[in-house]
Amino acid sequence: MNSVVKNERQVIAAGHKEKKYDNSLVPPCQDACPLKMDIREYVDLVAQGKVMEALQIIREGNPFPSICAHVCTHPCEDKCRRAQVDSPIAIRSLKRFAVEFGGDRMVQAEAETKHSEKVAIVGSGPAGLSCAYYLRMLGYTVTVFEAHTEVGGMLRVGIPQYRLPREVLDTEVYRLTQIGVEIRTNTRVVSLDVLFELGYKAIFITIGAHQSLKMGIEGEESPGVIDGATFLREVNLGLHPVPGDSVAVVGGGNVAIDAARTAARLGAKKVTILYRRSNKEMPADPEEVKQALEENIRIQYLTTPTRITRNEGKLYLTCVKMKLGEPDTSGRRQPIPVAGSEKEKVFDSVIIATGQAPQTPGDFRVSIGRGSTIQVDPVTLTTNRQGVFAGGDAVTGPATVTEALAAGRMAANRIDDYLQHRYPSSQKVERGKVNRELKPETINAIRRIGRSEPQVLPPELRTKDFQPIELSYGWEEAINEARRCLRCGIGAEILFQDKCATCLTCLRVCPYHVPYLDEHGTINIPADQCQACGICVAECPANAIVLRNTREKRLIDEELDHVFRSAAESKRESFIIGFCCQYGLFGTGTLGGLWRGTKAGVWIVPVLCIAKVEPSHLLRAFEGGAEGVFIAGCGDQCARDNTAAQVMKRVNKVKGVLKSIGIEPERLKLFIPGTAGTDPVTEINEAFEEISGSFLASIIKQEVRD
Amino acid sequence: MIVAEQKPLDEIVRMITPYENVMIIGCGTCMTVCNAGGENEVSFLHDALRLAQTRSGDAYHNFYELTLKRQCDPEFLELLEERVSSIDAVLSLGCGIGVQAIAEKLADTPVLPGVNTSFMGMTKESGIWDERCAACGDCRLEDTAGICPITRCTKGILNGPCAGTKNGKCEANMEMDCAWIQIYERLERLQQLEKIRRYYPLRNFRAIPRPRRITSVASDVGGGKSG
Repeated sequence: MNSVVKNERQVIAAGHKEKKYDNSLVPPCQDACPLKMDIREYVDLVAQGKVMEALQIIREGNPFPSICAHVCTHPCEDKCRRAQVDSPIAIRSLKRFAVEFGGDRMVQAEAETKHSEKVAIVGSGPAGLSCAYYLRMLGYTVTVFEAHTEVGGMLRVGIPQYRLPREVLDTEVYRLTQIGVEIRTNTRVVSLDVLFELGYKAIFITIGAHQSLKMGIEGEESPGVIDGATFLREVNLGLHPVPGDSVAVVGGGNVAIDAARTAARLGAKKVTILYRRSNKEMPADPEEVKQALEENIRIQYLTTPTRITRNEGKLYLTCVKMKLGEPDTSGRRQPIPVAGSEKEKVFDSVIIATGQAPQTPGDFRVSIGRGSTIQVDPVTLTTNRQGVFAGGDAVTGPATVTEALAAGRMAANRIDDYLQHRYPSSQKVERGKVNRELKPETINAIRRIGRSEPQVLPPELRTKDFQPIELSYGWEEAINEARRCLRCGIGAEILFQDKCATCLTCLRVCPYHVPYLDEHGTINIPADQCQACGICVAECPANAIVLRNTREKRLIDEELDHVFRSAAESKRESFIIGFCCQYGLFGTGTLGGLWRGTKAGVWIVPVLCIAKVEPSHLLRAFEGGAEGVFIAGCGDQCARDNTAAQVMKRVNKVKGVLKSIGIEPERLKLFIPGTAGTDPVTEINEAFEEISGSFLASIIKQEVRD
Repeated sequence: MIVAEQKPLDEIVRMITPYENVMIIGCGTCMTVCNAGGENEVSFLHDALRLAQTRSGDAYHNFYELTLKRQCDPEFLELLEERVSSIDAVLSLGCGIGVQAIAEKLADTPVLPGVNTSFMGMTKESGIWDERCAACGDCRLEDTAGICPITRCTKGILNGPCAGTKNGKCEANMEMDCAWIQIYERLERLQQLEKIRRYYPLRNFRAIPRPRRITSVASDVGGGKSG
């Protein structure tokens, strides 16, 4: 009965070319990422349970993903359009899941040296390490010079260990040395001329912004008053400063929060943050602020010290109340002291964390601009000295780790341009972006699924020491979280407008009310609204609609061919093919057992949502020799709740064909597990028995007839 | 729009039996819109026919696919001529007009109809089409408030309703609205009830000489008729 497919499909398209290119648009998350990482892609791979592949995508776009997985301020999440439906995708946590479950600790081969030029990098912070990584991958010999005993810059001396475990940093640094980057610690560079004399052809200055700014108030130099950067540096380098029982931290940025939480971990019983504006203007990450409050750290808003006096080992802070006036140049409302509101507060120590600036050695002879930052050409990243480039906090002032990594990557490319005597390559042609808001009727049609946060240690446990406080996702949590992604910008497009008969099928079948008729009577599928469910692609009678990302459709054909080959090799009398939701196979366990639990002779074709299974796939499965075919959706965990009805229609259509050519329609089944209240593996095994039974019966009938 | 439905698969299988190389030709206009013979249906039929012959154990046919923008215009059919040299038969998923147009173009190739052309109609909702026009050549919609009694009244009477109307439904099918009640209600709404109070003489039931032909007025202008 199993017959080889005799006729190669011969399609003569009337002048229409097959779509080969990827026409997807840049989603808002990718656009917001300083490194422009392909977030949509790796989130989707996590949702499919393909964690190693996800990590591969992450590594392509980020030199040190496990660092970002812990400390990134995730501007991507701020721009995530899922927030318009319920809450944004937990992108950073998903990255952390991929990094931890994707086998990231693998050994890296040494990069090949392709160029004779040597490059020196001054500073081993994120920008320096990133630049070193990319230059080494481009084939340069790279040396990183670090003044401290340990590598990492702010990653090491600024960020507390409970946010970035040092093993993570050490592993990434180790990987860097594996590819052949030389790192010299305890080496303070005081003059660039010496580096040039040593034969380095280009120098990248990335010395960070470690110098705390003074408040300029009386008593700031008293013993017991320390600046935030110094305090964190001392703690991180293992100097164990003793802040005493009651600590005041002045400032509202991430350094202030880090300092306050660090003080609490050093044993301070009462930690108070004094911030001169209100919580709305506070620049610190809201999540960090929330965690700090949980750790019993108090925040006094609209408060600033104006004088510090020291008496018998105690610090007396004269604090003044503030009120908010007009917005200043930063867009935040300017705090104005309230006359006569002075009050005195007593602390054991005071940490001032009101901002930092770079401190560039004068002998570097590079021109310095506003806020002590190094001035560079924004395109070439060159300073006023030939062959000297700069980037990171030293140029921008205090910024995020991810921005520094991006700056390092850009510097590597510009240094490569410089050494190879090229003009900086002009910006690539930008792909279109997805940026409009979702329409209310589309939002209403999207199933609400709340964001799941990874677990965090309880506050009383975490303030005991510097252990990392955030735990990683479990497998199911991560996959369910990843499935919430709206997959902006890879939805349907009418590729062949000349084929479109404006039949309005897409407009009628779209569960999200996306296609619309414009005033010229042309049908449009706006890319920034489409939810990429694929229903219109399968239903379009003119085959004029495709998904912007062609991979998903190809996947089914490839997997089906693979099943045919495997089934032929296994030489079984009969087999059945199941088109199963790839997300369900991993996500929730409802289909998860299918890989193992079903009988021999059941072959599974994973599909990215059953809405993408077309009638012709079902017919092909029968044609390839399957005795039975089933479709299994992911059931009640599905991120969409409006696909099953469409799939049922297709199933019925195919059943009609089966009947007319003498195949029992019962050999085709649609399962939506969880709806019948039984175990899908049992259900499918039962169906298999039934189908095998009718297969036997048909043989017997045939023999009787003959 | 012309509405059709695909013929049952076994009928198609029977029709194509004598021919080894069969080209399935879809139509990109009405047949696409009514989901009977657009490119998607052409591929679906192709897959179904292949499955049918695989199951019968007799893999004899080779199938080819082609969808034209419109089968009822000779210029589109020119695409066909060079492609059918090795074809034994064409299975057209165009309406009856398309089938004939192809037959006219391909003198030496049998052309088989893949759909039953049913009526002229409109979409009620996705997947449901209703007949609306009988192409009688003598339109009275002005008098009947835009509702055609020829197609929508089972009896096709011009002076309705008849005695078979009940609660606004037709005696022939209690699910179906009585067209004349609809006409009455709409005329009332338009304050044109006088139109239903008149008697309309019989339609012209004389045999219409077929086939009919329409010659565009514009092509006569050259003859000085407008003067």
